[in-house]
Amino acid sequence: MIHVSDLDKSFGQLHVLNNISLDIAPGEVIVIIGPSGSGKSTLLRCLNYLEVPDSGSIAIDGEILTLHTQDITRIRSKIGMVFQRFNLFPHMTVLENVIEGPLTVKKTARAEAVKKGEALLEKVGLADKRAARPSQLSGGQQQRVAIARALAMEPAIMLFDEPTSALDPELVGEVLVVMKALAKEGMTMVVVTHEMGFAREVADRVLFIDEGQILEEGSPEEFFRAPKNERAQAFLSKIL
Amino acid sequence: MGLDLDLAYIIRVLPLLLKGAVTTVELAVLAIIFGTLIGLVIALAKIAPYPLLNILGRIYTWVFRGIPLLVQLIFIYYALPAVGIEFTSFQAAVIGMSLCGGAYIAEIIRSGILSIDKGQMEAALSLGMTYAQAMRRVIIPQTYRRLIPPMGNEFISLTKDTALVSSIAMTELLRQAQLRAAADFKPMEMYFAAAVLYLVLTTFFTLVFSKLESKLALID
Ligand SMILES: Nc1ncnc2c1ncn2[C@@H]1O[C@H](COP(=O)(O)OP(=O)(O)OP(=O)(O)O)[C@@H](O)[C@H]1O
Ligand SMILES: [Mg+2]
Repeated sequence: MIHVSDLDKSFGQLHVLNNISLDIAPGEVIVIIGPSGSGKSTLLRCLNYLEVPDSGSIAIDGEILTLHTQDITRIRSKIGMVFQRFNLFPHMTVLENVIEGPLTVKKTARAEAVKKGEALLEKVGLADKRAARPSQLSGGQQQRVAIARALAMEPAIMLFDEPTSALDPELVGEVLVVMKALAKEGMTMVVVTHEMGFAREVADRVLFIDEGQILEEGSPEEFFRAPKNERAQAFLSKIL
Repeated sequence: MGLDLDLAYIIRVLPLLLKGAVTTVELAVLAIIFGTLIGLVIALAKIAPYPLLNILGRIYTWVFRGIPLLVQLIFIYYALPAVGIEFTSFQAAVIGMSLCGGAYIAEIIRSGILSIDKGQMEAALSLGMTYAQAMRRVIIPQTYRRLIPPMGNEFISLTKDTALVSSIAMTELLRQAQLRAAADFKPMEMYFAAAVLYLVLTTFFTLVFSKLESKLALID
């Protein structure tokens, strides 16, 4: 479903991604962990071309990503993205946020978009907040709206970049619940997170990234029990 | 010698001055409308992910901010006819003020757009929007409220700048005053009245814009 080969990316002198190759099967849940600045976000952002790699290739469903506008917008519409800082549209209500993608990108009829949008808000437990502004919601609620907004495009893949890192501890759970449900439904997910409980419970594979390289990958059992790589060991001992 | 104003005279010529003031406001309103359209296009060109557009935008600002408005007006009205392009003085005034105002408004709109969090564009793009859709649906609507105060200032600047078009035979407020002052030998009365009228106009618009600003602040 996602095929990444020999990805390289630098910001000026800084070599952020170093020859990354990665295959993700449909329905797989991948959790990416690694120290700050190791290139996790950059890798995720390359997967929908918010960041353009210097070399290497990414194929989604067999289609190689290019900068061609029509292709890239079509591919992006199949890949949902959830950000650390939610990035809801503050000038729109919750429901408007959710139906914005279908209306503008897919040209869905308004009535239909609203119906689906309400169902999605129901799903993330926020049906009663449809008329609220993002600024009136808690962080956890905002992030759930952001997930609903991404799901409204009926994506085949969901990318999460530290979706709970900006949340107060007591609000993390409600977001993880939604993500777990999504994983159970068979959504293909790539999740950058420091929530090791989530990784253990939900991930099919855990990747450890440092200095732009995948240093270790394996099932959560293998990975958490006995990481082979030293830096992965050191990292785990620090956060667990 | 004190200020010895012939008030009866001022009252007699007031309708004439008011007519000029109406033209002044008309000019300022047209200039802010066309200037905003131009400014939006130039601002978008300057921040677009296309180097050629960036350069064109910069050239526009460089030219129209670098040449005094008075010179631009005179050029449009007196020089262009030499190459067969003729405008009435009203047309020339609107064109000159819009082109020049557009250069300043472009900077206002550009910095408004740049003040929006980068995550907004990324969220819009990640939904599959094109850059243009993201601008139209997500970024630009968020700038409106921030644009009100600087656009208000710009409108008031334009109102004052309309005085320059008296130099291309446009009978707005200042020109009316000049004509009557010369004809009636009443410079003090005429220019005093004109100055007060300008002040009334700019004060009025200042109040309108600050009302508008606080109205919009309440909405969000
Ligand atoms: N647009 C950019 N321009 C310049 N440098 C950047 C840019 N984006 C990221 N970087 C740098 O690239 C490196 C990797 O960044 P990235 O955001 O991918 O790390 P990360 O693993 O997600 O870290 P964190 O856990 O802190 O989110 C960092 O040193 C960062 O400062
Ligand atoms: Mg990151």
